[in-house]
Amino acid sequence: MEQTDPALEEARRAGIDLDLLDSNLALTYEERALRHESALEVVLMLKEARAAYEKSQPPSPEAR
Amino acid sequence: MKSLNLLLQRLADAGPEFVVIGGYAGVLHGSSYVTNDLDICVVLTRENVAKLRTAFADLHPVHRLTHRKLSFAGYPPADQEVANLYLETDGGIVDVLGDVLGIGDYASLRRHAVEIPLFGRRCWVMSLEDLIRSKEALGREKDLLTAKELRAIAAKRKQGKPENIS
Repeated sequence: MEQTDPALEEARRAGIDLDLLDSNLALTYEERALRHESALEVVLMLKEARAAYEKSQPPSPEAR
Repeated sequence: MKSLNLLLQRLADAGPEFVVIGGYAGVLHGSSYVTNDLDICVVLTRENVAKLRTAFADLHPVHRLTHRKLSFAGYPPADQEVANLYLETDGGIVDVLGDVLGIGDYASLRRHAVEIPLFGRRCWVMSLEDLIRSKEALGREKDLLTAKELRAIAAKRKQGKPENIS
């Protein structure tokens, strides 16, 4: 039986995607670094988009 | 352009002995969490600070926690000791620490660190066990969640889950 280790059960209960971990572990170190870089680019783009959106919104009545 | 991989390559080429720690070490061990900075542990001798300056020279490094974002090119002066460096560069954020909570100084960390091939270079990365210990020592909610994920990775390794570490 594979996923009966208490650490795996605890991770699953915490909502951690164990299949994603399997997928990561099948990658080389370099592939992990490159995949992370792509994910970080998306995160930074989303942050920029949110900042641009917030800047474009009129100030709330409380802020006036 | 932000690229933690570029920063890592610069460090490896510039030659200060360092160990990758923190979230990026987790990524290299297989974590799925995204981190926006590169944390490393270095013995912050004057010589190593000079090597760090060389590594980031054209990436406009500044001390991100200083009020006026002082340039790393000019501060600290060559004769001043530093304990840690919190830098922001064109390639992204780099935190350079002299020791790691829950583990200790560079020598303690290096004792269990693993040497990995990365982008045609060799890098030392904090061991998975030390990383778990440090995350649990930090104790913040996000660190404890990361520690759970890292424990799951350790369990999978123990089960002999095939790992591609070429």
